[in-house]
Amino acid sequence: MSGFAEFWAGRELWREPLLAGVLAAALLSYLGVFVVLRRMVFVSAALSEISGVGVATAFYVGSVAGIDPHTHGAIPLLLEPVWFSLVFACAAAALFSLRPGHRKLAAETIVGLGYIVASALVLAILNSPRIAQEAHAVGDILFGNAVTVPRAQILALAAAGAAAIVTHALFFKELLFVSYDPETAMVQGVSVLRYELLLNVIVAVAISVATRAVGALPVFAFTVVPAAAALMLTENLRATLPLSIAFGIVSAALGYYLSWIEQLPTGATMVVVASVFLLPGVARLAKRNTV
Amino acid sequence: MIGYRTPLLPPLDLSVRSGTTLGVLGPNGAGKTALLKSMLGLLPLLGGRLVFPMGRPPRVGYVPQRDRLDQSWPLSVLDVVLMGRTSLLGPLRRFGARDRQRAREALDEIGMGELADRPLYALSGGQHQRVLIARAIAAEPELLVLDEPTSAMDPAAERVLLELVERLKRAHNLSVVLVTHQLTAVAGFATEVALVDRARGLFEVGPAREMMTTDRLGRLYGREVHVAEIDGQIAVVIGPPVHPERGGAGPSERRPSEEA
Repeated sequence: MSGFAEFWAGRELWREPLLAGVLAAALLSYLGVFVVLRRMVFVSAALSEISGVGVATAFYVGSVAGIDPHTHGAIPLLLEPVWFSLVFACAAAALFSLRPGHRKLAAETIVGLGYIVASALVLAILNSPRIAQEAHAVGDILFGNAVTVPRAQILALAAAGAAAIVTHALFFKELLFVSYDPETAMVQGVSVLRYELLLNVIVAVAISVATRAVGALPVFAFTVVPAAAALMLTENLRATLPLSIAFGIVSAALGYYLSWIEQLPTGATMVVVASVFLLPGVARLAKRNTV
Repeated sequence: MIGYRTPLLPPLDLSVRSGTTLGVLGPNGAGKTALLKSMLGLLPLLGGRLVFPMGRPPRVGYVPQRDRLDQSWPLSVLDVVLMGRTSLLGPLRRFGARDRQRAREALDEIGMGELADRPLYALSGGQHQRVLIARAIAAEPELLVLDEPTSAMDPAAERVLLELVERLKRAHNLSVVLVTHQLTAVAGFATEVALVDRARGLFEVGPAREMMTTDRLGRLYGREVHVAEIDGQIAVVIGPPVHPERGGAGPSERRPSEEA
C-alpha cells in the first residue's frame, strides 16, 4: 500500500486531529501577523506558559479539595482546567496590555519574567506529590499531543476562530491603528488600552485553546513562523494576512501527513514544514541585499 | 503644573490661540515632550487644568516623531493616511469611498498623490514625514501638532516641510503647535514661542519676536547667542558657553542647536 493510500485508509483516526491542527494553524497564523508586527513574539510564549499554570493550578486545587480527576464528572465546573487556563491567560494578556514597564525594566523584560516564573510554576506544581499521579494527564492538557484531539477542543478552536474573525471584522481599523501607532491613536481619541486588551485577550484565548489541542511547540511556531515567512514576501497587509494563513494551514496539513507516513513526532514535523516557508523570504532578502 | 511624578517645569499658563503657530523650543531633554503630552491630555496634569474655549477638546491632527514608527510594516501610503480617518468614522464602520477620497486629497495637498499605493518601506525619510502630515490632515483637524517634524532633515528639506505646514495651516484654517529643538524650525514660522528648559526651571512664552532675542535664547542655551534679521527673517547664531568656567558641566554640555 502506498504512503498516501495508507494515510487515507486511516482517515477515521486522523480526521479530528488534522482538523484541529489546521484550525489552530489558521487562527494563529492570522493573529501571528499582529504578534510579529507588534514585536510581541515572546508574549505568545509567555501566554502559553501562563495558561499552563492555570491548568496545573486547577489540578492542584482539585487535589487539595480531595477531588479525583479520574472519576467521571468529579471535577466541578469551576475547577475545570479549561477555565483556569483561560482565566490565567486572559489575566496575563490584560496585564501585558497595560504596557508594564519601568525605566530599568522594559516591558519585554517583564514578559520574559512572566515566562520564566510561569515555566517554573508549571514544573513545580506538576512535580508536586499531590498531583504526581495525574502528571501525564495534566501534561496532555497542558501541551496537547496533536494525535488525539477531543471534539470539544475542535469546537473550542472554532469558537475562538469565530470570535477572532468577528472582532477583526468589526474593529480591524482600530486594531491596526493602535498596533502601528498607539501614540497618535490615543491623541485622536481611539482607546488604545481597550483595543490592545481586545487583541491580547483574543491572542491569549487562541493560544490557550490551541495549546491544549496541538501542543505548545506548534502553537508558538504557528504564531511566529507563517507570519514571519509571509512578511518577508509581501509589502501589503492584504496579501500578508491570507499568505500567512495559507502557510499555516499547509504546514499543519503537510506536517501531519508527513508525521503519519514517516512516523515522526506530529507537532515537531508541523514546525519543520512551517520553517521551510521561511526559505523563499530569506532568499528574497539575501537577493535584495546583494543587489 | 506638568511632570511625570514631580514637576518638570515651573507652574505655567499656556494657550494656543486660533490661527496661530506656537513654537515650543528647547534643548534636548528640556521637557518639551512632557509639555506636549500634557497639552494633548496624554499625561495627567500634576495641578491645574486644561480649558477648551469651544467647550470640547479640539480635533487634533498629530504628527509624531517619525523615528518612533516602524517603517517596515506592510502598509501602503494610503493605508497610513486612512488611519487619520479612524476616529472620524468611529468603531464598527469600515473606510468607505469618501474616506479614501479625503485621504487621497490629503496626499495631493502634500504633493504625494501619485505615491498613494507605494509601500511605506520604499519612502525616504522626508516622504515618510509628509505622509504623517497627510494623515494628520486627513483627520480634518482644528489643531495640528507636530513633534520634532524636521529632525534629521537637511536645511533645504526642513524649509520645504515648514512651508508646507504653513500652507496647510492657511488652507485649513488651523492652529499649529510645533515642538522642536531646532531654532530654524521656529524662526520665521512661529507666531508665538514658548522657551522650555527644565534644567534651568525655565518656561517663558510670548510673541515670537519678543522671545527670539539674544538675551532669552542665551539664557535658554547657556551660550552666547547672536540674533539678526536678514531679508525679513530671523537668523540665529549660537556661540561659545556664557560661563566657560563651568567646564562644560550642566546644560552647556548639550549639543547646541545649529546655526540659522
